[in-house]
Amino acid sequence: MKKKWLTGHPYGDGLKKIMRIMRLTILLLFGCMLTVSANSYAQKTKLDINLTNTSIRDLFGFIEENSEFVFLYRNEDFNLTKKVAVNLKDATINQILDEVLKGENVSYNVYERQIVIQKAENSMVSQQKKEISGTVKDNSGAPIPGATVLIKGTSTGTITDMDGKFKFSVPGDSKILVISFVGMKTQEIALTGQAQINVVMEEETVGIEEVVAVGYGRSSRKNLSSAVTSVKSDDLNRGAISDVGQLLQGKVPGLNISSSGDPTRKATIIMRGASTLNSSQSPFYVIDGIPGADISLVAPDDIVSVDVLKDAAATSIYGNRAANGVIMITTRKGNKDKEQVAYNGYVGFENVSNQLDMMDAAQLRAFMTKNNMSFSPEDDQGGNTNWQKVIQRDVALSTSHNLSYSGGSKNSNYIASVTYIDKQGVLLSSNQNRIVARLAVEQMAFNDKVKFGINITNSNTKDTKVPQRNSALLQAAKYLPVTNSKKEDGTYFENFNHSGYFNPLAIIEQADDDSKINNLLGNFTTEVKLPFGLTYNLNVAYQRNSSLNGVYYNSYYAKNYNSAQFYNNPEPPSTHSIINFGSNGLANRSTYQSTNVIFENYLTWNKEIGKNSINAVVGYSWQDNTLGDGFMASNTNFPVDDVSYNNLALGNYSTISGYKVDFGDLNAYQRTRLISDFARLNYNYDSKYLLQASIRRDGSSVFGENKKWGYFPSIGAAWRIDKESFMQSQSIFSDLKLRASYGVTGNSSGFDAYTAQFIMGGLGTFYYNGQQMAAFGPNKAANQDLEWEKTSTQNLGLDFTVLNGKLSGYIEVYNKKTNGMIYSYAVNPVLVPAGSITANGGEMSNKGIEVSLNTTPVSTKDFTWTSNVNLAHNKNVIEKLTNSLFLGGDSVRITQPDGGGQTGSTLQILKEGKPIGQFFTLEYAGKNAEGVSQYVAKDGSLTTNPGIGTDYHYLGSPQPKLLLGWTNDFKYKNWDLNIFIRGVFGNKIFNATRADLFRPSTAHSSNILVDAGNESPTDLNVYKYSSRFIEDGSYIRLDNATLGYNFKNLGSYVKTLRIYSSVNNLFVITKYSGIDPEVEQGGIAPGVDSNNFYPKTRTVLFGVKATF
Amino acid sequence: MKKIISYFILPVLAVFVVSCHDIEVPITTQMTPDVYPQNDAQYAQTAGAVYSVFRGDYAHAYFWMSTLSTDEGILPARGGNWYDNQGYMKIHYHNWDKDHGWTNSLWYTTEKTIGVTNQAYYILNNVMPEGANKKTTLAELRMMRAISFFTMMDYFGNVPLDTLYGDFEPKTNTPRAEVFKYIESEVKKAINNLSEETGAKTYGRPTKWTAYSLLAKMYLNAEYYTGTARWNECIAACDAVINSGKFVIESRASYLKMFYPDNGPQMKEFIFAVPFDPSAVSYPGTNGMMYRARYDVPRSERAKFGLPFTPSAPMSTLPEFYALFNDLGDVRNGQWLTGLQFMDDGVTPVTVKTTKKGYDQFYTGADGGDSYTYQVNLTPDIIYRQNPELFDCGNDEIAWNMGYRNIKFYPDKTSTSRNQNNDVPYLRYSDVILMKAEAILRGGTATGGQTALSLVNMIRANRSTSEVWTSVTLEDLYKERSREFVYEGWHRNDMIRFGKFEGKWGFKTNSETYRRILPIPTDAMKLNPKLVQNPGYN
Repeated sequence: MKKKWLTGHPYGDGLKKIMRIMRLTILLLFGCMLTVSANSYAQKTKLDINLTNTSIRDLFGFIEENSEFVFLYRNEDFNLTKKVAVNLKDATINQILDEVLKGENVSYNVYERQIVIQKAENSMVSQQKKEISGTVKDNSGAPIPGATVLIKGTSTGTITDMDGKFKFSVPGDSKILVISFVGMKTQEIALTGQAQINVVMEEETVGIEEVVAVGYGRSSRKNLSSAVTSVKSDDLNRGAISDVGQLLQGKVPGLNISSSGDPTRKATIIMRGASTLNSSQSPFYVIDGIPGADISLVAPDDIVSVDVLKDAAATSIYGNRAANGVIMITTRKGNKDKEQVAYNGYVGFENVSNQLDMMDAAQLRAFMTKNNMSFSPEDDQGGNTNWQKVIQRDVALSTSHNLSYSGGSKNSNYIASVTYIDKQGVLLSSNQNRIVARLAVEQMAFNDKVKFGINITNSNTKDTKVPQRNSALLQAAKYLPVTNSKKEDGTYFENFNHSGYFNPLAIIEQADDDSKINNLLGNFTTEVKLPFGLTYNLNVAYQRNSSLNGVYYNSYYAKNYNSAQFYNNPEPPSTHSIINFGSNGLANRSTYQSTNVIFENYLTWNKEIGKNSINAVVGYSWQDNTLGDGFMASNTNFPVDDVSYNNLALGNYSTISGYKVDFGDLNAYQRTRLISDFARLNYNYDSKYLLQASIRRDGSSVFGENKKWGYFPSIGAAWRIDKESFMQSQSIFSDLKLRASYGVTGNSSGFDAYTAQFIMGGLGTFYYNGQQMAAFGPNKAANQDLEWEKTSTQNLGLDFTVLNGKLSGYIEVYNKKTNGMIYSYAVNPVLVPAGSITANGGEMSNKGIEVSLNTTPVSTKDFTWTSNVNLAHNKNVIEKLTNSLFLGGDSVRITQPDGGGQTGSTLQILKEGKPIGQFFTLEYAGKNAEGVSQYVAKDGSLTTNPGIGTDYHYLGSPQPKLLLGWTNDFKYKNWDLNIFIRGVFGNKIFNATRADLFRPSTAHSSNILVDAGNESPTDLNVYKYSSRFIEDGSYIRLDNATLGYNFKNLGSYVKTLRIYSSVNNLFVITKYSGIDPEVEQGGIAPGVDSNNFYPKTRTVLFGVKATF
Repeated sequence: MKKIISYFILPVLAVFVVSCHDIEVPITTQMTPDVYPQNDAQYAQTAGAVYSVFRGDYAHAYFWMSTLSTDEGILPARGGNWYDNQGYMKIHYHNWDKDHGWTNSLWYTTEKTIGVTNQAYYILNNVMPEGANKKTTLAELRMMRAISFFTMMDYFGNVPLDTLYGDFEPKTNTPRAEVFKYIESEVKKAINNLSEETGAKTYGRPTKWTAYSLLAKMYLNAEYYTGTARWNECIAACDAVINSGKFVIESRASYLKMFYPDNGPQMKEFIFAVPFDPSAVSYPGTNGMMYRARYDVPRSERAKFGLPFTPSAPMSTLPEFYALFNDLGDVRNGQWLTGLQFMDDGVTPVTVKTTKKGYDQFYTGADGGDSYTYQVNLTPDIIYRQNPELFDCGNDEIAWNMGYRNIKFYPDKTSTSRNQNNDVPYLRYSDVILMKAEAILRGGTATGGQTALSLVNMIRANRSTSEVWTSVTLEDLYKERSREFVYEGWHRNDMIRFGKFEGKWGFKTNSETYRRILPIPTDAMKLNPKLVQNPGYN
């Protein structure tokens, strides 16, 4: 904010005058820049001056150039052209000014680095004075040190001390006191003779002077020409959440986030519709300026704000990885004025909010009797077991503790924090435990011209997963309720006469599946202030993610499950496969490490010329990534089970005939390099007409020989209509801005690093002279023409504030199109034996509209109600799926859940003109006269014997038509209540889980849903994957309600104290019959509920936040 | 100006001076063409991909299409289990279409095998030094490609001739007779460079004798494939194998052992076999395993056969086919499971404990839930008790015991999974003998003092204790082939040649002759728009 004037003013006095006035205004508005230790700079700074025959103005210029002092004065107050001679050594500013201004009818005041010179008759010296004092606090009751207190219209004033107290003499005729502090609303207090003045400052309304992270710098929100949504830490989702995705769920229009109840899984985030079919659909994360940092490094309590960059004008500065949007996270920094220790903690209790409505023993028995069926004698133990309950915890406990201390001195600041989160899952054995430790230090050097920063974060996570989770869930649903979970002798009940039938409790208890993940991020930054408004930044970051995984299936698995055909049950669209558990225990260990080394430097130029303001950035970025550096090994035949996976050397696989050690993925190790040159120019005229343009040249090692480099340009413009003169007479809009932008971003991830190259891999084994020998050859189709996938976005936005700030919001309309979409296209295997080739071919489009509204319907002294609604609509279409060389892309049927007897049935199709996830399956047409389910054939007739693929129809889309987030904040005195409601509308869900549990004909060996009770066992069609199981997925969820109380006047040790209680997922309103309508929305098979459900949960949480 | 240079230009320069634009990363963890293949072992491993992929669907799609389309086998549904969207039903009824899954798999894997062979041929032709090893290796690849094209010609008739790696131009179908000519010329090109050696060293790879046997098979069917009979050339090709003296007909004592899990290069009748091994790694994306016991052994007999898994057992033969096994002295009867089942001691009955309703789902008595134990009794007939339209026999003990079961590829109790170690012969010496006999019967000239009858009796003497035959007709020969090669993948080929493929068996009544060749799958036509659909399937 401090602007330095150069000597030798190139403009006339008139302009100078305006500038001086502006500077004075700036001083008054941003008095916050004055520090607590007022005049410390003035006292410490010593100057040598030896000038003769110099005008006062030039002298001031000399001082300004050789120090950080800034002079503020009115030209007419005294004679600036008066020549003076000064010869002082080691002089303080006061000594110099006393000498120079000798004889002038002026007085001066020094506020840290600002020197205000005024006519003597206005100065307090000549007035009759009186003493006033008071305190300045924020609305939580915490004192505000460093707030500026001034007499309105003068520069007379002071700054509050550490306890927020102030005390100074004011001229007797002073009428109004102005109190200001950064981030707070400036307040005016009428002086009516009171001696003690207590002021409660309120936070400034978001969106006025808000500063947002934009990539290689920060920008004031009002001068943005791109689509950026910011979420402050207070507005993030509350609850026992350790995942950044879940923190944002429902808060940002255009972000479609789906999360499961599994604590070890990250939420899936899709921004403005998937822009690609390849596996890389998730947004790009930038944490404190470090591109590609792992979000598990961020403890929710350390977040200050999250800025979501949505249009290409905003994201293209991260050109090569920004096609799916950019999420920038800013974490807390130390504040040199605020030394504090803070503690946040909570304890949460979680239980299952809903479960599948399977038949209980009595219901199933009645069904059997009605349909002339019977249980096998082994199964029928007269029990009544709720198997879903058997594998659940009654209550899952979560705790989190975050302790931080921060502070600083004049030249440095620091923050250190440690976060411990322990989160149990509701399924037995599922748990996540994470410790994040963080230290950030900033140090000024070289006369405050250089700022060094070091930021080190380490996150250590231990995930205890549910072994064979999806199988356990499926078995818990289908296991017969008439069976007890254990036999009388304490052993598990099993009956392998039913194929694919396993005791879910044994599945969980007889195996271990753990991961330890360590994430280290070290970042070193240097910022050098150069003359001419130039700033040079150098960032060097190193990130290392290492994982150590261990899986053990004990001898129970080997003995029992090998023989009974244990299939895994993967997430759609993968298809299931049989698993072998070795002999006498099977252990599998793997450890892999990924590292990123990032080197970035850039130069920023800030220049204001009259009403023209220029911000230019030019930079270079270099990044080297190594993925999957490590190994995997397995062993079997262990003497005991007790050691689990912890000692591979105990096993002896060599005596097990045909056992193959699992050495993991042949292509695990991948190294890539990304290099970019970038430039960005922001120009605004009078803060009224804003223009932004950027260009980035990106190289990626993954592409073909001559295709490695790509150009990613963007341009954006905005018009702040409210600044126009014709708008000054109206009072409806206090803020009105129209924005338009276009830009191109790229993607080079989501596929193997060596795809463009000819690589030989394992091609199975063959008999060769008495033994099986490994065959090697090209295992993938090399594509030397592979090039950048490019996504262009057009965005039109309107920001507005009306009714004196009571209502504000924005509307965004966008059109996003991906060209040269990288996908694994099917090719003729006789030409390309791999059968598929990763190539550029398709096109994808997403068009949508987003609306966000903030209102403050009620705002009184004691009670405030603010409400925020955001709405988003997106339409996703696969425009093209082939290119001329690879014709096989279009019409790819996917998602084969492999329910019994349904091999080959698919649920979805990738097809030109249809959205991702388009359902394409049988169309149910009720039952025929014999009571057999019938379907609509291709020619429209009805059939009970439809063909897969041929008699399929397009039957709805899993893409939601509307996403809604609605936040309400109520504040009453010290109480606050936050209610957050989230909704998804207009999407369909394929409930394959329901289909697979809708098998009356096998009800004697596999439990069925209660609502299959009226089906006949003789209708063998009843469970066929069809439109009968496609349901409306719309829902409204009361996602969170939080009630908090802020204690005031806590004495001198505790500055703030807040206690709160929070309930997550209080209720869901939906017609969906499955466990929960929030099913996976990412990938190429969104909207399929297929035995992959982890139960949704309801959490009650009690927390405390305190600062000391 | 100086100031401008020092303050502005220099820092900008600094940004770029410290920049580097080297975007290449070295590949240090993968085999690139720079390092592989470079020596004989690596050449063998490169060629090995062809054998690995050839195995891919041999005991799977190839087996289903060759077996279930005939009276040898049927795989009905039981309570919806194994219905699999008519995948097996359509093969039985001869109403497969261009979207039929197994037809698609057979096309895809065979085309892929040709592609892999073309690619391996291309690489080895470029990198191998000239010499005997190169000649043999390339001849073997040529022969493997010929076998794959033979499968394509036999099953799909008019197929595209993609024979050169690197030629990405899609090709249209070549008429069957020309495909025949191409295969013939390829086999002849390869034949002189193929090894004459049998035994472990060449086992699993084609030898000169494989080439002659394939030629014999082609000439025997030449009239059907091309309209021109070539009986004498068939006999000549058979004679080349017979006169090599490398092969012997297995005795009555060893016939069944020929298909046991421990079979291998020691089998004197195997001319070319596909080696299966539970420890083998499959070619990526293919099945590559064989698990006959999973399909054929009743669940109740898991203990009897010492299986490490519970078999599923949906497959059985049809009574009209089993009727061919009417010679009590024939050792080949031993490959069937029929009637009441006993443990290996022949005395202890195989029993199942269930309920009355579990035994018979249509039992209506009030005591349906009462325990019921019975001795397993496999019955010859396949009956739709539940839902004829859905190919369904019901889901109770009665249904699961329907149909006689073939255990020729004897269950492998040594495996720890359902994957068996039994190698599957592609061409056997007894086939050569019976081909020669048939060629003579059909009008060829007898050679070497062997007649059709003497040749058939050569086989029968090693199979049955019954009296030798005194005469032989084509019908007798057909039946003998049926007994000899059941479940070995040739019955479809035989039925077509003997004009029996349009007959009625099981539930099948379709007699459309165009079904002798399969449709070009929809997926294949998507990948290659130049393909023209076979007659009858549009």
